[in-house]
Amino acid sequence: MGLLQNIIFGVITGSYIAIAAIGFTLIYGIVNMINFAYGEYLTLGAFIGFFAATTFPLPLPVAVLVAMAGGGVVSLVLARAFFTPINQTGPVPLLLTSIGLGIALRNAIRLVAGREARYYDTATTTFRFDSIPDLSVGSVDLLGGFFVTSEQLIVVGSAVTVFVAIHGLLTRTDVGIAMRAMGDDESLARVRGIDTQLIRDSVWVLAGILAGLSGVLLAIQTNVNATTGFSQILQILSAAILGGAGSPYGAILGAYLIGIVLALSTAFLPSGMSGLSSAIAFGILILVLLVKPSGIAGTEVREA
Amino acid sequence: MSVLDRVPTENGDLALLAGVCCVLIGGLFAVTPLRAQLPSALYVFVEVGILFVIYGLLVLGLDLQYGHTGLVNFGHVAFFAVGAYGTAMLSAQDTFAGIGLGYPWPLALGVGVVAAALVGLGVSATSIRLRGDFLAIVTLAAAEILHSIFVNFEGIFGGNVGILGVPRPIAALVSDADTRLVATLLVIGGITLVALAGITRITSAPYGRVLRAIRADELVTRSVGKSTVTYKTQAFVYGAALAGLAGGLFALYNGAVAPGFFTIQVTVTVWIGMLLGGAANHRAVLAGLAIIMGLRLISRFALDVTPVSSDVFASIRLIVVGLILVAVIRYRPAGIWGDAQELGVDR
Repeated sequence: MGLLQNIIFGVITGSYIAIAAIGFTLIYGIVNMINFAYGEYLTLGAFIGFFAATTFPLPLPVAVLVAMAGGGVVSLVLARAFFTPINQTGPVPLLLTSIGLGIALRNAIRLVAGREARYYDTATTTFRFDSIPDLSVGSVDLLGGFFVTSEQLIVVGSAVTVFVAIHGLLTRTDVGIAMRAMGDDESLARVRGIDTQLIRDSVWVLAGILAGLSGVLLAIQTNVNATTGFSQILQILSAAILGGAGSPYGAILGAYLIGIVLALSTAFLPSGMSGLSSAIAFGILILVLLVKPSGIAGTEVREA
Repeated sequence: MSVLDRVPTENGDLALLAGVCCVLIGGLFAVTPLRAQLPSALYVFVEVGILFVIYGLLVLGLDLQYGHTGLVNFGHVAFFAVGAYGTAMLSAQDTFAGIGLGYPWPLALGVGVVAAALVGLGVSATSIRLRGDFLAIVTLAAAEILHSIFVNFEGIFGGNVGILGVPRPIAALVSDADTRLVATLLVIGGITLVALAGITRITSAPYGRVLRAIRADELVTRSVGKSTVTYKTQAFVYGAALAGLAGGLFALYNGAVAPGFFTIQVTVTVWIGMLLGGAANHRAVLAGLAIIMGLRLISRFALDVTPVSSDVFASIRLIVVGLILVAVIRYRPAGIWGDAQELGVDR
């Protein structure tokens, strides 16, 4: 396989990480917490979508909408029950609470749904482009034939739609502008008459909707089980911090960077060491925090 | 003047005395033909007890880092693993996979501790300046990186099998299983008590006051001329070295190390134990850890009387553990025995 094909894989991975990373980074910027339970939101979204698509049988696009709505509701309920009451205690207690909530949710899902993996039933068309000439540099083939499936195109398409929608929301609507104001300075936003609790709730709903969508897309690519989302949380987190915590645009950039690095390291690491690809993603994260702790576009996270 | 009058009353000294006594009694089992008999019902208690005293070293180190200095280290298992792998690789003979050099175990244990301290120094040199929640993420990521290195470099670390054939000093001296368990519990428990004494000594000295001042307000501490980064680095390295010691002892007790022993679950258990007991109070964190590890015992016994599978029970136990963490932070942020005013969490 050529470099081109691997970059395509990276872009696809980057797409669903990006959708989730936007939700993650919005929570970070506005509620001021690292939500370690966010991976479980993805898992819940994947399960809601799966059961909507199989038990009722709803068509897949409708099931995705159900998963997004379900994700939003779950996110708001969990936030109201667990995070809003301790909002003023600072980032570390919130992080620890989300870790505890994540453990409880993950095991509750496992208890209800069992350990086995479930698969979305999707019809896939594969588009092949074999006629592209090889462009070899050393042992690496820069171009070469490649393929994409309709599933993968849908993943990338949904991601682009989400980016446009989020950009519109944050720049064109009152609630989006209020979110950005709160991300900048919460007290100042309150002085200007913004209902900060309402905005916080809407951020939770928005993050839940994004998690639901990302969870279904992830599950279509892989499968649905109790750790579907948890297995991605560190990548999501790396993408969000890489881009500068709190910045949705940075998160998109960070997600594609992480996705491409993961794909390339899986392809070019010697076989038997391909498990190291996630280590490389975290290595990049640590490097970024050392060299430019504010991320690609963001705020200072060091104290001393 | 009777012997009783000479028993120290200070907590730290009492722990030191008790610890030395435990090690001596344990040693007595090992070198004399003295034998212990365990009722079979107690086996599981002693086994969990051994794990508890090993994790006790972890929680003491973590309490020095988080409870006293306020460093949010969420990758504590990394230093535990480095200590264990360092000790195992240096001392293992005829390991199935990976490197086993077959050096004597005391040397290996020392190297394991030093290796863990060095890794701690590396992590803190790069990230100790980060804000609390980001330090948590970096340490967590560091632990995940180490874990995947242990799994993926099969030629060096033995992959998923890990390192086998690590010498077991106590097992080598005592052939009978009952005595072996009791002696192991006493020796490692004694070491934990001695560590408790050492840590108490550090934290009740002026040095410990500086650490707590950093936790309360770093800027103020810097303004009175203390190099907070140096103090934070030292506390981090001490904690890492203690975790390395715990890892080395674990390797020498278990006779093998594998990545499966060093998952994020260890970090979570130790953290919840510390928060439940009450950070910054050494005996409280040990008690909190005992409660959390006691849940394992309950689930093991409940397994015999209820008709559910062990899988289901493990899930239920973890749900309870997660909710305990949530509840402690919300309703009792200082922990059961912690001092809310001192920790600054009074609301």
